[in-house]
Amino acid sequence: MADTMELRDIEVWDGNMAAAQALRQVQVDVVAAYPITPSTPVVENYANFLANGYIDGEFVMVESEHAAMSGCIGASAAGGRVATATSAQGYALMVETLYQASGMRLPIILNVINRALASPLNVNGDHSDMYLGRDSGWIQFDAYNPQQAYDLNFVAFKVAEDHDVRLPVMVHQDGFMTSHTAQGVKTLSDEVAFNFVGEFQPMNDMLDLDHPVTHGVQTEEDWHFEHKARQHNDLMTKVFPKIQAAFDAYEALTGRKYNIVECYDMDDAEVAVVCMGTSVETAVEVAKEQRAKGIKAGVVGIRVIRPWPFEQIAQAFQGCKAIAALDRSSPNGAPGMLYNELAGTLYNAATRAVLTGYVYGLGGRDLTKSLLNQIYADLVANAAAGKPTTALQQLIGVRGPKLEFL
Amino acid sequence: MSEMKNIKNLKEFSTSADRFEGANLLCPGCAHSIIVREVLNATNDDLILSAATGCLEVCTAVYPYTSWDASWIHIGFENASTAIAGAEAMHKALKRKGRLKQERDPKFVAFGGDGATYDIGFQWLSGCFERGHNMMYVCLDNEVYANTGGQRSSSTPIGASATTSPAGRVSYGEKMNKKDMLAIMAAHGAPYVAQVAPNKWKDMIKKIQTGFAANGPVYINAMSACTTEWKFLPEDTIAISDMATDSLVFPLYEIIDGTKLNITYRPKTVVPVEEYLAAQGRFKHLFKDEYKYLIKEWQERVDAKWDYLQRREEASV
Amino acid sequence: MQKSGWSEFEIGAMLRSFEGATNNIAITHQEDRPYSKSNSFTASVADWRIVKPVFNKEYCIDCQFCWIYCPDISIISRDKKMIGIDMDHCKGCGICVEVCPTNPKSLLMFPEQQDEEAALSEWPAKEKKEN
Repeated sequence: MADTMELRDIEVWDGNMAAAQALRQVQVDVVAAYPITPSTPVVENYANFLANGYIDGEFVMVESEHAAMSGCIGASAAGGRVATATSAQGYALMVETLYQASGMRLPIILNVINRALASPLNVNGDHSDMYLGRDSGWIQFDAYNPQQAYDLNFVAFKVAEDHDVRLPVMVHQDGFMTSHTAQGVKTLSDEVAFNFVGEFQPMNDMLDLDHPVTHGVQTEEDWHFEHKARQHNDLMTKVFPKIQAAFDAYEALTGRKYNIVECYDMDDAEVAVVCMGTSVETAVEVAKEQRAKGIKAGVVGIRVIRPWPFEQIAQAFQGCKAIAALDRSSPNGAPGMLYNELAGTLYNAATRAVLTGYVYGLGGRDLTKSLLNQIYADLVANAAAGKPTTALQQLIGVRGPKLEFL
Repeated sequence: MSEMKNIKNLKEFSTSADRFEGANLLCPGCAHSIIVREVLNATNDDLILSAATGCLEVCTAVYPYTSWDASWIHIGFENASTAIAGAEAMHKALKRKGRLKQERDPKFVAFGGDGATYDIGFQWLSGCFERGHNMMYVCLDNEVYANTGGQRSSSTPIGASATTSPAGRVSYGEKMNKKDMLAIMAAHGAPYVAQVAPNKWKDMIKKIQTGFAANGPVYINAMSACTTEWKFLPEDTIAISDMATDSLVFPLYEIIDGTKLNITYRPKTVVPVEEYLAAQGRFKHLFKDEYKYLIKEWQERVDAKWDYLQRREEASV
Repeated sequence: MQKSGWSEFEIGAMLRSFEGATNNIAITHQEDRPYSKSNSFTASVADWRIVKPVFNKEYCIDCQFCWIYCPDISIISRDKKMIGIDMDHCKGCGICVEVCPTNPKSLLMFPEQQDEEAALSEWPAKEKKEN
């Protein structure tokens, strides 16, 4: 039996420690992992817990991220609680297995410490890896700080392992900006944390020796579409009610409230910024400063990236006149993921807000308050004109001649 | 560990209840299923199985049918080893935590073709062996990517015509010598490494049972004569297999604890390599005058390897 | 098997080998197993064959070479006796005939359409060893 760790009500943890502690507290049965910056400390912290008697599950240090997820898939299909962590290049190496994990409906939890994708090589936080997995059939949560990285892990296990869901979940946090930034994190006791998630309930488990199962079959044109359709249907219809229920239960337990789409000062907002990760907190601060100047500024943070919260987004922008979509990943020849998703969501919605896009913060470049002030100035002009006054896409915070397109 | 299945002779073995089923989609005369049957029938223990993408996988789990009577998983081409290692780790964890549904210890077995083993899955396999999982990895070695239509792998021997190393006007086909997987796996310090052939069923069963009794990762290289890609008639699978073992092209031996080598089969009459080559369409072009030197080199290579194996055995290293 | 719609099967394309619980499957023969409709045992590859093996019990010595080398689990052996061929799963490869050591052989290949009684009636006689 693993030892209980006595935690203070508030611990000073960075995002990596917050995630590692959550994995310890839910008593993961198998962690198969491979270290990569900036997610390495998740694995190191976990190894330390193991070395000091706080873990009685298996910890398998494999030889690559592809093997990490492969081992997680084998372990999860065998029938138990499974989690791992990765970033960027490791995530890219895992991509094949991400689809296999979700296609087999295995409730694996993957902490993704977001980092830019090479080339050029970069270890810092942007959302390239997060975007890479958006069609992989996983549920994706985004944490904006260490507290949320901690909390969302518990929600992730609860949702993923629900027999009506049985889908893997990624919990994203920004590399370094969240993963290596220590903040006060309100903790749960080991017992309370574990009980929130509960004992793992196996389903279609290979280790049920009296009920042999076959996982990972071949389907061609006569069956493949139906299986993919089933998975898509479940993502579209079954996941949000379970996430909402888990958020509600977590709020009842901790007082901390999470929403599928996080709205800040949006009730009467006329101009709004939409972003993810640590940028949300910066944007919220700037919006408050804009409000002090009489501008009805708001911020929307995407909490659940997949499934995409179509209805909640449409709801969030009622009354809004100008919206800026902030993408922290190079779209490489397109308008940008958030821009495209928002455009698709709002096209038939009641709102007729002007939508413009910004590409920012690649490779960990700071999103400064002055950049956000400029965005709000653009939005105010767009709202007044009732049409874009800038290019639809601007790259901001990059050196050299101004880059704008469309 | 549960009791080892007692198999004194073939009649006794034939009372086994197969856990691999017919109406799979493997070619008529495929040696893969003969090997799988011999491996699975070597034990009455519970089994947890995995397979790499390849002939065995695409022919035995085509929705809505499975040919497996034990739990089985396929993830991808390269990771059958890690898939079963993950399942083995979960068994260990649940056993420690007292959460196993049945208090039985299954055997964990992964199957992969030579493409999955020698090539694309090599790193995954090496990782599993370094970590020492309690698992058996069986390579169904037919020396070619048969599932995708006969491309060369790093197990394809010199002179074989494969679709990506075809024999042609200016080429005799595959140029590289076959990778020595047994030596590589033994070098991991694995408790048991062996080469087997389905035609030598008794040798096979003994080795599989030794493997199941070992503590740690076990590598079995199973020669799998491929009627489709080696180009011989389906009914000749066992005859070709006999030629392979009796010509010593596929010598049968085992390596214990990474070092001690034992030869387990010595043919009464050694068949010339030329006869083995002549029986297969993939070597047909070697019998042109300009390539006959290759047949001579083949024989020399086989003789040298046999000599080496005998010296290793004698020296007990 | 009938092709079902997207909402009609297990998630993850998971298949079960058996209906309900089994134990000791390693010592339970096919006739006593609760196969699920997803088990390929319930399917047939008989239409693959152009030639088929015919078993002549008269010459069989129950050596079980055909059982061990059959790739398709189609030689039915019970209590150490070869009792017949599973014609749903035999693909007609002919290995069983090649490995049959009796003289004359106890298994021979015939065209798929050949009547079994007729095949048995025209079974070859014992061959004399050359020299």
